[in-house]
Amino acid sequence: MSLLVPCPNCGPREFTEFSYGGETKARPKPDAPIEKLAEYLYVMRNASGTQQEWWYHRAGCHSWFLARRDTVTNKFLDSYWPEDSRRVR
Amino acid sequence: MTERIAAAAGEAIDRRRPVSFFLDGTPAQAFEGDTIGSAMAAAGVMVTGRSFKYHRPRGLLCMSGACANCMVRVDGVPNLQACQTPVRAGMRVRRQNGLPSVDFDLLRAVDRFSVFFPPGFYYKSFYRPRFMWPVAEPFIRRAAGIGEPPDRDLEWRDYEAATLHRDVLVIGGGPAGLGAAVEAARAGARTVLVESEPALGGRLRFTRPAEAERLSAEVVEAGVEARTSTTAFGIFEDNLVAAAGPAGLVRIRPRKIVVATGGLEQPLWFGNSDLPGVMLAGAAERLIRLYGVLPGRVAVVLTGDDRGYECERMLVEAGARVTVLDWRKGAVPIRAEGGKQVRALVAREHGAERRRECDLVVMAGPVVPASGLLAQAGAKSRYDEFLQAFVPDALPDRIEAIGTVTGRGSFALPEVVATKAKTFACLCMDVTTKEMTTSVEEGFDSIELLKRYTTLSMGPCQGKSCLAGCVRYAAALTGRSVPETGVPTSRAPWRPVELGLLAAEHFEPRKESPLHECHQDLGAVFIWAGEWRRPKQYRETSDECRAVHERVAIIDVSTLGKFRVRGAGAVELLERLYPNRYGDLKVGRIRYGAMLNDQGVIIDDGTVGRLAENEFFVTTTTSGADAIDQWIKWWMADWRLDAQVVNVSSSYAAINVAGPRARDLMGRLTDADVSAAALPYLKLAQAEICRVPAMILRIGFVGELSYEVHFPSAYAVHVWDSMLAAGADLGILPFGLESQRILRLEKQHIIVGQDTDALSTPNGAGLGWMVKLDKDDFLGRAALADDAARGLQERLVGFKVDSGGLPLEGAALVSAGRPVGRVCSSRWSDSVSAFIGLAWVPVEMAGEGTPLVFRSGGAIVAARVHLKPFYDPDGARLRS
Repeated sequence: MSLLVPCPNCGPREFTEFSYGGETKARPKPDAPIEKLAEYLYVMRNASGTQQEWWYHRAGCHSWFLARRDTVTNKFLDSYWPEDSRRVR
Repeated sequence: MTERIAAAAGEAIDRRRPVSFFLDGTPAQAFEGDTIGSAMAAAGVMVTGRSFKYHRPRGLLCMSGACANCMVRVDGVPNLQACQTPVRAGMRVRRQNGLPSVDFDLLRAVDRFSVFFPPGFYYKSFYRPRFMWPVAEPFIRRAAGIGEPPDRDLEWRDYEAATLHRDVLVIGGGPAGLGAAVEAARAGARTVLVESEPALGGRLRFTRPAEAERLSAEVVEAGVEARTSTTAFGIFEDNLVAAAGPAGLVRIRPRKIVVATGGLEQPLWFGNSDLPGVMLAGAAERLIRLYGVLPGRVAVVLTGDDRGYECERMLVEAGARVTVLDWRKGAVPIRAEGGKQVRALVAREHGAERRRECDLVVMAGPVVPASGLLAQAGAKSRYDEFLQAFVPDALPDRIEAIGTVTGRGSFALPEVVATKAKTFACLCMDVTTKEMTTSVEEGFDSIELLKRYTTLSMGPCQGKSCLAGCVRYAAALTGRSVPETGVPTSRAPWRPVELGLLAAEHFEPRKESPLHECHQDLGAVFIWAGEWRRPKQYRETSDECRAVHERVAIIDVSTLGKFRVRGAGAVELLERLYPNRYGDLKVGRIRYGAMLNDQGVIIDDGTVGRLAENEFFVTTTTSGADAIDQWIKWWMADWRLDAQVVNVSSSYAAINVAGPRARDLMGRLTDADVSAAALPYLKLAQAEICRVPAMILRIGFVGELSYEVHFPSAYAVHVWDSMLAAGADLGILPFGLESQRILRLEKQHIIVGQDTDALSTPNGAGLGWMVKLDKDDFLGRAALADDAARGLQERLVGFKVDSGGLPLEGAALVSAGRPVGRVCSSRWSDSVSAFIGLAWVPVEMAGEGTPLVFRSGGAIVAARVHLKPFYDPDGARLRS
């Protein structure tokens, strides 16, 4: 692993500066059945292809952002803030 | 051969500066600029080491770091390439793999009985009968392997790691690489060039030294950052290039990579071609032109192109008698003869065998592209029928290749003539043509299987001097074409690298409190607490604990995580982050809380104080401060509540003042009313202390009346010193982490991470009271609701030891011979006069007084469950 992560604030930086937050998921509603919680916590889509995921610039601007990455080629398509219209919920 | 020939232009050695070193314990002479390899050649030492399996004598082969023949042990470090390692005064060089010595090796017998070492012999032999294995194993271990582990008492060496961001990186300082670097730099690109040899010029250094010098000067003039003695050994994602430099690891992240790694000379295949004195043309040329060493007086040059004749000229000029055998003219080598050095070469010339006496055989054979780095980067290769070699074809984005690496010259080889003498395919791993044949017959006929079964190309050179030939030979054995046979995958490292280099400097943060120097002055013993250096103790912990219990003492808690949370959505944020309720917390009050994740597991604990209607002061543990910062920011990013969270961990210093006389001390430091009525337990005040604006929190971890004072860290030393001075007559002492750990254990206050793990829920940890399942939602709510329905399995309880001493942290709780729980904290307590601790036990063993048996190391410890705090069980002192 040596990829560069595109921080929307700081630009491309070494991935060792970041924490990976995993693929984005919708947290179940409080009254959802427990199976939904188990799915949320333990079951990953593990997409083969483009995936929206969380990244945190731990050794940089200390911001969480979203990035789209192709999990096959390990190339980033783009990155944006959580309030961006590109965000897929 | 023990003398140098006349000096030539452009030589690498400085004859005015002799250097002496030790070779196998004997003093040896060399010149500044010599490598260990050239110094050995100059000293007439032909055998540079013994081979991996058969312990055959080996000598200099490539002189360019592309083979493993000359690996030696230098000052206790094994497996350094002699031809690449500069001679330093006083260095101790030992040749490797000889028993008892490289010149007289008893294990040479292995060579004579190699019939017992067929390919995969470790799968086939010694396997049965089983009882023979203990007999065979030490022998195999002694006989096999390359070098021995480094000396235990090696001097510590720090490897540096540097990272370079550049526009263009050129790998290889030969004519092609130099040209590319100059052009890139002149076009305005920030250009760095790495070259594994100590000087630029590549082959030009010994063929046309004036040209090499001219090009090197041009590179400097163009502003190229040229790094010699620096070897690129891997290309990784997003154009990250790893290189081994003189000081350590160099990570280079260029926009564009130009690969100009040139070619690799390939040895020819004939019987005993591994004898010392049989070497590649480049090696002979380097020895003559760079180091002034004539490698032999009577030479046979084997060639199939013009290179052989260039080499002949060089040898003749240096004073050797030379015969050229050109296989285009029907002269094919069959075998070399000799013991520790070549004595003769037998070749088929014009249909008849002819033996020629000689002391040097030069192989001026084919050159294949040195394309290993390109292949790592994902370049495809194609088989070029004309060149008879694989050449790089489709290159990845942002990577270019120029020069010999793209395929130059022909890879035509003479036929391999069958002979009784061992004909080596892979020198590093001692694999012969016969072994390849056997393996293919046994069914290992794909190149990947053949490689793994015979271990060909898996030695230190990683196939640089054998793979091209092996692929071709395998193709002939299997009746397939060369492209059908293919080449095995190329992986980093392209050149051998020291392990220390890979472990080079990774930043290890070290955090110090603003009071660090005060602690030093007070004689504190420090320990690591996560990334922090914290005082463990200043004196005997019993003295420190007594000061807390009987008088007053202070501890530096600046390392705590501290946050200010404000805004209209502040309450909502805290309600979601914590299982407790914060909407009903009155201004000026404090509530203890633990944070959970959505699994319902405790991830941190601390306090929340309400400073104003929409403003809170939150503290976290020391070790969790960064993680919780990240955690809160994540949910803030997702929830988008109308709240601001400011991490003030390093802006505020904090000191805890504890003990029955704490109030007396506080009264001397502040005008604020710190009486029990005005500032009771779990209340906070914002006031000046020692004339510094501060927050005073009536909370405590150690079980006595205590005040936690937070204030701007710039005043840390002033406040700390003022406290110690003002409390001198009260018998004040500073106390450290170890005393704090004893004191909190007496109170059974938990430490998240010490007493909890990735499965600990609030109910199990005795914090069930804080969980408000009737709240709409909070992190962990759904999991805890489900947990409540299932019932509890384990509980965290206190225990007091009856006999057996101190159970170690981590010791197992044993019941009916099985481990059923574990000790997480344990200490001796003076106040209790017993060993006490906290342990996770099954719920059925969690009743007051239940006997517990711990197995700690070899000892058996008997204890009893003790549910209430050992000290001040009702909390009267804490609340006083």
